[in-house]
Amino acid sequence: MENYLLWQELMRDTATMDQVSWWQEFYVYFYQAFIEGDRWMQYLRGVGTTLVVTAMALVLGIVLGVLVAMVRTAHDQQRAGKHNPILGFFNGICKVYVTVIRGTPMMVQLLIMGFVIFSSSRSYTMIGALTLGINSGAYVAEIIRGGLMSLDPGQMEAGRSLGLSYGKTMRFIVIPQAFKAILPSLGNEFIILLKDTSLITVIGGKELVHAAQSIYGRTYGQMFPLIGVACVYLVLVMIFTWLVGILERRLRQSDRR
Amino acid sequence: MIDVKNLSKSFGDHMVLDNLSEHIYPGEKVVIIGPSGSGKSTFLRCLNLLETPTTGVITFDGDEITNPKVDINRIRQKMGMGFQHVNLFNNMTIRKNITLAPVQTGLMTKDEANEEATRLLQRVDLLEKADAYPSQLSGGQKQRIAIVRALAMKPKVMLFDEPTSALDPEMVGEVLQVMRELANDGMTMAVVTHEMGFAREVGTRILFMDGGKILEQNTPQEFFAHPQEQRTIDFLKSVL
Ligand SMILES: Nc1ncnc2c1ncn2[C@@H]1O[C@H](COP(=O)(O)OP(=O)(O)OP(=O)(O)O)[C@@H](O)[C@H]1O
Ligand SMILES: [Mg+2]
Repeated sequence: MENYLLWQELMRDTATMDQVSWWQEFYVYFYQAFIEGDRWMQYLRGVGTTLVVTAMALVLGIVLGVLVAMVRTAHDQQRAGKHNPILGFFNGICKVYVTVIRGTPMMVQLLIMGFVIFSSSRSYTMIGALTLGINSGAYVAEIIRGGLMSLDPGQMEAGRSLGLSYGKTMRFIVIPQAFKAILPSLGNEFIILLKDTSLITVIGGKELVHAAQSIYGRTYGQMFPLIGVACVYLVLVMIFTWLVGILERRLRQSDRR
Repeated sequence: MIDVKNLSKSFGDHMVLDNLSEHIYPGEKVVIIGPSGSGKSTFLRCLNLLETPTTGVITFDGDEITNPKVDINRIRQKMGMGFQHVNLFNNMTIRKNITLAPVQTGLMTKDEANEEATRLLQRVDLLEKADAYPSQLSGGQKQRIAIVRALAMKPKVMLFDEPTSALDPEMVGEVLQVMRELANDGMTMAVVTHEMGFAREVGTRILFMDGGKILEQNTPQEFFAHPQEQRTIDFLKSVL
């Protein structure tokens, strides 16, 4: 602590600068970035927000994704000649949603939500989570739909031929198998989502990157806060990948030969 | 038992079934043969509405199943189907494959369905596979399971679409044996197959399909001994 103050003092002046060795300099920057004024608490709060935003966007993305995928698959799997107009209407809405979301950059969506649609609101983090969830939903929907469509249609036919309803065949046969097939893509989508939470800083969301920015805004040492933040994301992603791997292995038990 | 009147089916402007009428009586074992693309699968799949007929009326057990108001799930519970590609549910054990439909349709309680599954598995000599998954079974074993899975619903009629043609030759026999026993038990059956030996031995009536029509039909003895149509003669020459 006393050392830190001393070295920092020496570093302020170019005349005395070369009295400080490289590791002392390193220590000063490190201290500034993480320890001084309990700054690590700011990162910790940032990580907390990042995780909360990810979780909220994840849940919203899955709910939206499942709904949209269900509407679109049910619409596409209608028997020829039997077209339900209500389903057709919702299918149209879902198609527009997916097209618009996938056709525009995430950053632009955030700016529009933050500064146009909710320009009067102050809960930037919430708006960020909402936008990410809506964004993720479109991708999740396409992943789920792809999984449902790629499953051998014979599975659906076998279920129906036994007298099971469309819904029950979906629930017991198609969805469990499709889920297993899409788990790697879903895991990937969620990793992207976790990292994309960093974008909400542009509308003032107070997550991890925001913490780093406000710290190097004071200390003018960008390197340590940014590399620290990068490490945190890396660790989070690795933990997440590991969890998805466990789930995949457990679901794969029906494939053992 | 199944009555088909003026059944036609088109995919786009491709007419696959051409104004076809037929009746399947209780206890009959109708064997449907014919060249590839003649509409055999489509005909069979129309019988339980896996394909929706373009026009025509199909009646099963007094219910007009082509009427859009009819509850097709209830009808299908009484019509079992065996597929060329077996289609066991890959995410479930063999026992679960068999018990799922009886339990979910309310036909049996869980215990009853389990008992029934045990009985059926014993019948095809596969009880030791009850807790295995489909991927752990041979092709012939899977097809035998698929047949008893359909039987668990206690159907009144069984439809088979080439149940042996995706199997390795050495496994065909075991599946045909199960079907033979089923026939001997008096099940009403409609079977699409290329196994002429089976058709001759088990069939009570042979339908020969070509170009979306039933071109010729007869008892197996007569059909194989004295085919009438030139197309039938050519076909039999190519497969026998
Ligand atoms: N879903 C479909 N969409 C479009 N065309 C189809 C469809 N199903 C079948 N067809 C066409 O209908 C015709 C009859 O097909 P079907 O499967 O009934 O013949 P098949 O007699 O069972 O032949 P195989 O012995 O090869 O099984 C074929 O020309 C096929 O291409
Ligand atoms: Mg066929």
